[in-house]
Amino acid sequence: MIFQLSYLLLILVLVILASIIARGKVPRYLTILFSSIVFFFVVLNDMTLTKFDYGTLSILSLSFQLNFVSSVLLILVSFVGVFVALRYRSSPGFFILLQFLFFSLIGLFTSRDFIVFYIFWEMVLIPSFFVIGIWGGKNKNYAAMKFFIYTHVGSVFMLLAIFTMFFTEGASNFSMVTLTSGFRLVPAPYQAFVIFGFLFAFLIKLPTAPLHSWLPDAYVEAPSEGTVFISSLLSKMGAFGLLVIFTPIFLTSSFSGNSAVPIVIIALGIFSLIYSALVALYQKDLKRMMSYTSIGHMSFITIAVGGFLYLNGSNPLASQLLYYGAVFQLISHGIIIAMIFALVDTLEKAAGTRQIPSLGGLARKLPVLSFLILAAFLASVAIPGFSGFVGEISILLGAYAVLKYYLIFVLIGVVLTASYHVFALQRTIFGPYNEFLGNISAKREELIVSILPLALIFILGIYPALIFHIFNIQVIQFSGGIHP
Amino acid sequence: MDLSVLLTFLIFGLPLIGFPFVIGIGYIKKNYSMYLGTSLIFLSFLISVYVFFTYTVKGIAILYNFNWLPSLPAVIPVGVYADNLSMIMALMVSFVGFLIILFSVGYMKEDPNRHVFFGEMVLFTSSMLGLVLASSLIMLFIFWELVGLCSYLLIGFWYYKPNAASAAKKAFIVTRVGDVFFIAGIGAAILYSSGGALSVAGLSSIHLVWQKTIVSLLLFGGAIGKSAQFPLHVWIPDAMEGPTTVSALIHAATMVTAGVYLIARTYSLFTPTSLTVVLYVGAFTIILSGLIGIVVNDIKRILAYSTISQIGYMVAALGLGLGATSIGLSIYQLEAHAFFKALLFLSAGSILHAILNVRDINKMGGLWKKMPITVTSMFIGALALSGFPLTAGFFSKDVIISTSYGVSILAWILLAIGGFLTALYSFRMFFRVALGKPRSNPAEHAHESSTIMLIPILILAVFSLIFGVFQGGFYTFLGGSPVSLSTMDIVPVVLMLGGMGLAYFAWGRNSTIPEKVANGARDFYLLVKNKFFIDAFFTNVIAERGILGLSAVSDGFERKAIEGLVDASGKLFQNSGKVLRKFQTGLARQYALIILIGLILALVLLRIFILTGVIH
Repeated sequence: MIFQLSYLLLILVLVILASIIARGKVPRYLTILFSSIVFFFVVLNDMTLTKFDYGTLSILSLSFQLNFVSSVLLILVSFVGVFVALRYRSSPGFFILLQFLFFSLIGLFTSRDFIVFYIFWEMVLIPSFFVIGIWGGKNKNYAAMKFFIYTHVGSVFMLLAIFTMFFTEGASNFSMVTLTSGFRLVPAPYQAFVIFGFLFAFLIKLPTAPLHSWLPDAYVEAPSEGTVFISSLLSKMGAFGLLVIFTPIFLTSSFSGNSAVPIVIIALGIFSLIYSALVALYQKDLKRMMSYTSIGHMSFITIAVGGFLYLNGSNPLASQLLYYGAVFQLISHGIIIAMIFALVDTLEKAAGTRQIPSLGGLARKLPVLSFLILAAFLASVAIPGFSGFVGEISILLGAYAVLKYYLIFVLIGVVLTASYHVFALQRTIFGPYNEFLGNISAKREELIVSILPLALIFILGIYPALIFHIFNIQVIQFSGGIHP
Repeated sequence: MDLSVLLTFLIFGLPLIGFPFVIGIGYIKKNYSMYLGTSLIFLSFLISVYVFFTYTVKGIAILYNFNWLPSLPAVIPVGVYADNLSMIMALMVSFVGFLIILFSVGYMKEDPNRHVFFGEMVLFTSSMLGLVLASSLIMLFIFWELVGLCSYLLIGFWYYKPNAASAAKKAFIVTRVGDVFFIAGIGAAILYSSGGALSVAGLSSIHLVWQKTIVSLLLFGGAIGKSAQFPLHVWIPDAMEGPTTVSALIHAATMVTAGVYLIARTYSLFTPTSLTVVLYVGAFTIILSGLIGIVVNDIKRILAYSTISQIGYMVAALGLGLGATSIGLSIYQLEAHAFFKALLFLSAGSILHAILNVRDINKMGGLWKKMPITVTSMFIGALALSGFPLTAGFFSKDVIISTSYGVSILAWILLAIGGFLTALYSFRMFFRVALGKPRSNPAEHAHESSTIMLIPILILAVFSLIFGVFQGGFYTFLGGSPVSLSTMDIVPVVLMLGGMGLAYFAWGRNSTIPEKVANGARDFYLLVKNKFFIDAFFTNVIAERGILGLSAVSDGFERKAIEGLVDASGKLFQNSGKVLRKFQTGLARQYALIILIGLILALVLLRIFILTGVIH
């Protein structure tokens, strides 16, 4: 059975309108409804490749597609919706903005037209900007402006790249399929610019160091519920772009056999991994530390994409490990980082601070919270049994085929990542109790809600096939990095 | 999936599924989790025995693989593989694990978090069982990591002790360094065999010698971390901060033996080049840790260094490169070591239990009279550890030393000296504990431990004495040739007796020999006392100066350079706005002038472009 995307978008618009009209708790509950509808949309479409063509509108082609990456990401969207709505009792305005953001993301992850994609890409910025700017911490204006302008700089290059493709190919519309397949005939300098433009936009959004400086400020200054959805979902835009849009463009271009660009991407990924781990090790603010964790996790995706492009189909086994590992890493990171930021918030509310030196020995007074933090951190370090392991090990194993001895740099990053997690655990939940904290306790319902992501992390970690089933059919259709 | 496969799965699956229940039932009544945990491991042991005698003895190897990530074209096998090697390991792990957990019932009975403790112990044992029964490198690695995780949790079990929290962190990070080599090794195995070598049965699908060397050395890197060989041995002495039963489990049945097992399992990959590395890393570790063991005063740390040294023998035996015979020698030493090291740790635990956790051997003394059963068992353990004739250690270790003579004289010399050192440090420890007068208040009030703690100790003592009878059968069971006693065996025995005698003269009675020697060779003494500065190098130079320094630099770079650059570019646009604003004067004459200048510039540029051929 096919659940039409147009119906979905229409229903979702109605839900958003209802949220705007309603007051009080209703928008919060409607967010759960919203997320469930999205979830059923994915499930009813068999979680497989589904195309939705609604003709053309002037130069825009209204074609959409639910492929396996977008299926995974839409499931992640619905998870974040349910989790945030259950976990936070924010104001109605927040939930309206959240629904608007989800709507934009659904459009973003399904559109197969560059301009439609770009519109949704920009639409996502608006709710995030307001959430940081309205409910943020004391530096909220600075963080919101920086976030907005920084990612916008990337978008401008993407827009220029889209127009370059359009005009140099002399196409009649902005359909991704047409523009991508005709890309090989474009003169090489223009191809280089297009590749640069997309890469630049996606690497900023991912983010990859050294293009990451919007992220720590945005994550730290945003309210906790904002941090949860920004970290969990917005970084996936860049990853989605790299995996679904940039990869086919690059592989059809005349640079496809060229190894320089993939090597640069891999080098950026490795730099990002090591650099974020080193900076995180020095942070005293737990929330800031965890925002560097997010950079570290996403750099695995950079490495995977770079490795995939480098192999160019020459080693099918390693290519698959890299690509599917990256997709798995998307959902796994989304859940883990959402859980971590929610727990950091619980911790901050309970202890009154999230500065690591002011904490210590929390396991004594907050045993359940400490257990959850321990589990989330172990998931983040990619211990088997947690979902983080599956993506990371797939990428590492696949990366050996590309990097050979240079894999040592990635492995150094892995060890450093483990080190700062364990070091933070030692100073926060283990060790002697910091008596200055007094008699503290965590909110029971906040802890109970955190079991939801923990359960998902366990289930996906023990039975990763659950997500890999989504890839069921696409695997064969996915040849050479192009979605039909 | 037939019964044999199901049973093999149950060996590790039963405690793995059971461990959350062990913790959960503790919320009803804490003692229930002790009973449930103990019985789970006992059941595992019974199933292992059944599988061993029904299938393994009859020469049936059980192999079952399924695809870990179905619906991917890439086949990543996981499953069980129970051949002679894995089953003999599984038997040992479940048996020794069971005895240690039984001992914990007495040892931990007053700890308020004992339900968590037993849950983690059960998970630890089941992970190790999963590790030895794994059919593919991925599966092995999954359990390898779980073993590491459990050791992290259990070393830090008394989390409120700063030392324990720090030791747990150190263990986690150092073994993690080894683990990443393992990952690289699996990656290399996948690349060089197109995925065939993922399965343990398919390791032979790597053909080229240089590829085998790379894969085997990378895997050996993983083994070094887990099995605490030089230079990654630094985590194990600190790991003594956990409860003593945890140390017993780490040192005897699980964790440190995992590395040795990994080498044995993937032995077909080891080329002469990598075997030489293996041999000398092992031999070097024996001497290094043996020397440190003589000067350490903490009873648990002496045992820790002795473990490093004994594992060195297992690694060196594998490095001899005699094929299945090497595996036999090594695994036999592993199992004998499991018995006498568990015995030593449990008797040490029994002593510490009695004397309020005073771990300094200088504060013990005279305990043989106060705790006769425990200390006699410890005596048996020390005899077995140093390889006294007819004990388990004699059959397992002296054969390795004698066999090494045929491979490399240098290795033989190192291993033989290691035997001397072993006798020296183990009897130094024993004499300081057992003989003389009590040297502290707790030692004076020591008393024998409860029966539930003595039963496992006595069983292990019996095994440490009689395990030697299995020697010949053991080697042939693992496919090697039987090694019989030869005249070469006299050398290690003489060295061992020499070490024992020297230990008695130096530490068994009132004597000033140790001080004189220490003062005579002051520099060397300080070098050994400071553990050859390896710990200091890792902690002070690499971790604190290197990594934390780099981290501080990166943080500064992040704040000053990267943030600064972004802010500066923001400022640039703001300021340029301020400057350009001044041109908005509102005076028509100025605007006209600017238009004129612009027009002239445009024409000049156009002319230049035409002249240079940019525009046609």
